[in-house]
Amino acid sequence: MNPLAPETKLRLAPGCRLNEAGSEEDLLLIPEGALRLKGPARAIIELCTGQNAIREIIAELEKRFGAENSGRIESETVALLTRLRARGALEAV
Amino acid sequence: MKYQPRALIAEVTHRCPLHCVYCSNPLEMQNRSLELSTAAWVSILEQAAALGVLQLHLTGGEPLTRNDLEELVRAGRDSRLYVNLITSAVGLTETRLDALVDAGLDHVQLSFQDIEEGPANEFAGTRSHALKLRTAELIRKRRIGFTLNMVVHRRNLDRLEQMIAFAEQSGAQRLEIAHVQYYGWALRNQAMLLPTREQVDKSVEIVEDARKRLEGRLRIDFVLPDYYAKYPKPCMNGWGHQQMLIDPAGRVLPCHAAGVIPGLEFANASEHPLEWIWEESPAFNRFRDESWMKEPCRSCDRRSRDYGGCRCQALLLAGDADATDPVCTLAPQHDIVETILAKVNNGRQADWVYRIDPV
Repeated sequence: MNPLAPETKLRLAPGCRLNEAGSEEDLLLIPEGALRLKGPARAIIELCTGQNAIREIIAELEKRFGAENSGRIESETVALLTRLRARGALEAV
Repeated sequence: MKYQPRALIAEVTHRCPLHCVYCSNPLEMQNRSLELSTAAWVSILEQAAALGVLQLHLTGGEPLTRNDLEELVRAGRDSRLYVNLITSAVGLTETRLDALVDAGLDHVQLSFQDIEEGPANEFAGTRSHALKLRTAELIRKRRIGFTLNMVVHRRNLDRLEQMIAFAEQSGAQRLEIAHVQYYGWALRNQAMLLPTREQVDKSVEIVEDARKRLEGRLRIDFVLPDYYAKYPKPCMNGWGHQQMLIDPAGRVLPCHAAGVIPGLEFANASEHPLEWIWEESPAFNRFRDESWMKEPCRSCDRRSRDYGGCRCQALLLAGDADATDPVCTLAPQHDIVETILAKVNNGRQADWVYRIDPV
């Protein structure tokens, strides 16, 4: 699989959705079960609307979580999105 | 709660237009007159969600034979469940599919019996293959989760590559290649269905190659026939650990086949709260921990990984639900499986036994 490019726009694949906001635990519901979401994972997935490029998502997260964490935000976001795309939970538009 | 249920398999009816030679329904099916009402299912779904269930698998029989399926889907979503429909496609018109999607259906799993029409219809006992192909086209045009389920066995396993090629261009995101498991009707037809060792080994290679080639495009789940495994499968990920199945009449079971085990009484969800059935009922606790185990399971390092295998298979093959699953190479009764495999690998032939519909 090709690595994700900064301009790639991702959205949830058909049959995948987040559970209700405010539930006991944050989960990504997928056809074969549920993935438990930790930390900012839910917020990151919520930004994958198919409209935002990964570059824009990272910029938004830096705004929210502080630009001083910039390097870490970028590497962790790309790692999460790469995993979810390989899992078939996210698709490029 | 030590064990939290995550999935509810709702067998909403045993009625089905197909007569598959490996149907996972019990040999003794529930009649239409005993089927739970819409209101009873709605209450069950609410209770299940409150217990922590995340996923609802609507199955049968053919769930589309129930006129209230749309209502059940909506009730599932209202209870915040992820709703999956497991279907043969028979009865899934464009109008009905739209109504189900509108009601909140998350995912459709469409089963195929083969990739060639003649054999597919033979295994299904009905002419349903062409309709399945048309229905796959309807599903791919909607933004809904789509899994193709290919049931494989000796008579179609040599076409596995064509099956995968079809799945690739079908619009499905996921392909489930499920070797037949030998319970119920499949056990009746085992002599016709069990693949040879050579076929199984080849199928593993084909699936491994396809997984690499299709990563990120098509996810492949693969269920092996446990008769050829060294150790048994962790059946249902443990008896009463994560899943429950409710039959058309409301009986709550830990799995599809548990009804074959004598001496167990499965409580009915229309008579008892689901929480009591899951937590307290004797049937759900019968094999939940390790206290029932005999040797070699009792002292085996693998006991917390595979739970001694499948209790139903132990009963069906060894005549004792407390025995080590005979597919385990460490099982005292493993010779039963060896004998079956020897016959299959020496090319014995037999005839189908088709399931009939409940009245």
